[in-house]
Amino acid sequence: MTGAELLIELLAKHGVKDVFGYPGGAIMPIYDALYGAPVKHYLTRHEQAAGFSAIGYTRSTGKLGVCFATSGPGATNLVTAIADAMMDSIPLLAITGQVPTAAIGSDAFQEVDVLGISLAITKHSYLVERAEDLAEILQEAIHVATSGRPGPVLVDIPKDIQLAQVSFKPWLAADDYQPEVNLNEVAKANELLKEAKMPVAYVGGGVHAADAQKKLMAFLNETSMPAVSTLKALGSVLPDYEYDLGMLGMHGGQAANLAVQKCDLLVCIGARFDDRVTGNLSKFASNAKIIHLDIDAAEVGKRKPAEASLIADLHDSLPLLAHPQTDGSWLTHMKSMMVKHAWRYDYPGEKVFAPYLLNKLSQTMPSNGVVCCDVGQHQMWVAQHMKFNSPRNHLSSGGAGTMGFGLPAAIGVQVARPDDFVITVSGDGSIMMNIQELATIRRNNLPVKILVIDNQRLGMVRQWQQMFFEERYSETILSDNPDFVALAAVFGIKGQTITKASEVDDAIQALVDSKGPYILHACIDEQENVWPLVPPGAANDQMVTEVK
Amino acid sequence: MKHQLKVEVKNQSVAVERFLRVVRHRGFSLLQLQLEVVDDKYFVNMTVDSDRPIHLLTLQLAKLIDVHQVELAEQHHQQAI
Repeated sequence: MTGAELLIELLAKHGVKDVFGYPGGAIMPIYDALYGAPVKHYLTRHEQAAGFSAIGYTRSTGKLGVCFATSGPGATNLVTAIADAMMDSIPLLAITGQVPTAAIGSDAFQEVDVLGISLAITKHSYLVERAEDLAEILQEAIHVATSGRPGPVLVDIPKDIQLAQVSFKPWLAADDYQPEVNLNEVAKANELLKEAKMPVAYVGGGVHAADAQKKLMAFLNETSMPAVSTLKALGSVLPDYEYDLGMLGMHGGQAANLAVQKCDLLVCIGARFDDRVTGNLSKFASNAKIIHLDIDAAEVGKRKPAEASLIADLHDSLPLLAHPQTDGSWLTHMKSMMVKHAWRYDYPGEKVFAPYLLNKLSQTMPSNGVVCCDVGQHQMWVAQHMKFNSPRNHLSSGGAGTMGFGLPAAIGVQVARPDDFVITVSGDGSIMMNIQELATIRRNNLPVKILVIDNQRLGMVRQWQQMFFEERYSETILSDNPDFVALAAVFGIKGQTITKASEVDDAIQALVDSKGPYILHACIDEQENVWPLVPPGAANDQMVTEVK
Repeated sequence: MKHQLKVEVKNQSVAVERFLRVVRHRGFSLLQLQLEVVDDKYFVNMTVDSDRPIHLLTLQLAKLIDVHQVELAEQHHQQAI
């Protein structure tokens, strides 16, 4: 068999049923091997979208996400999606075609040093230099992407190696370095848990990566410990948990941020003290001792030292934590904070109020539906006002914050979960970043729903210009937006535009009831802002709730 | 603060590129570098300088797939992986 055929056969052996990509000269043998193969290929209309669709596929299922691109511009177009996967620890396998081995280094047509480019954005990467190494490299690549702290892996395959005759050689993973839980640290952690009067669990994306939601909920239910979540963790704490305080950080809820600022013990579970979470780091949870659980030793002490650290898979470390019942007076205080700082939806204006709209969507859509966000104000409103019962149902570009993530990610989710309700919530800025993917929806007749929250602005940047740049609205006014419903109609997608609060309930119902793809274009007040906001450099208890 | 590190990496030039990129990106200046090939492995001795704690570099280097061992010379601190 050829190297190209081996790739496809190996993917099939690893249970890969669907891949996303875009063909080109240096990857033609692989596309030839795909012809009639059991692995189904989804043609996106830009390689970046292929990467995001593969990310959506894996984040919503736990299965490996795979994307293909040709050499040169095809590979460079993948860069943003791979970097996104790196920042969010997503197991993505990127396969790129390369010019023939003999032409590498000659500045050949569509030749780019993809291996060199990949160094900063992958967990690991390979250039296959000998045909006899291909089978081993591909198997190792899949193993690296999916083991330990997951991440993207790129394999660059020259065209002559795709065409070369190769044989399959089984590859066995060497015994992985598996960090063992340090029992002294467990003892220290459990002593801290027993001493704590005001503990808070700080839940991160590691719970999703480890598929450890059940073990997290077992710990929370036993202790009744109040829990705050990062953007990536949303859905890990079940929505009916009595002490779920929601998201913390720059646009976190007031109860969540105030609880963390006041707590005397912070139990960090698969999170990394990201700057958007902590605000001013020196003032973050400054009264708290810290227990840090993570599979990656490099995350412990990177931003904040821990009094006890459990470096292991959360499946192994979470059950080792003691389960002391949280002090009643602290829980009573939490309850009062949750009531005092509950979100309000009684917006007095006649215009569409985005938080109400999203809360209504959350209540109306199926409980196992999936929301794929873009990046900006709408992303934070989704995080604040929608509820999720699994982190697989809320996909947001967290670390990289990539506009254009939502639509192709939703396509990947819909391919992976064809029977589930899948919607991308986007803004009028973000949706244009990968708008060409409407063609992928049409080509595959995917019932993806699209909600565009339109303020005719790059809303989050505009908000910062208003608050911190003396209202100098440099390049953020999008009053010349296209007619989004007409644009979608060109691709055979039905939809409607709403402008009034009174239209929201019926429009959400129509969106949810629609059988095929559908776009709801919701025009909101251009001055609407995301509140609360922790200004740059401020502590998380210095939240701003209005423009002064 | 200056630190001396001994790093054992896979015998591939890209492995050296990869860990040197991490040294720069994590905020460490490279003051000295020696590289030799022994028994099909690269052994790198280097001196780095930074205001940042050295564990912020050693733990990142230790994560790299191509890096077999990172040893912090002056503290005799070894991380086998």
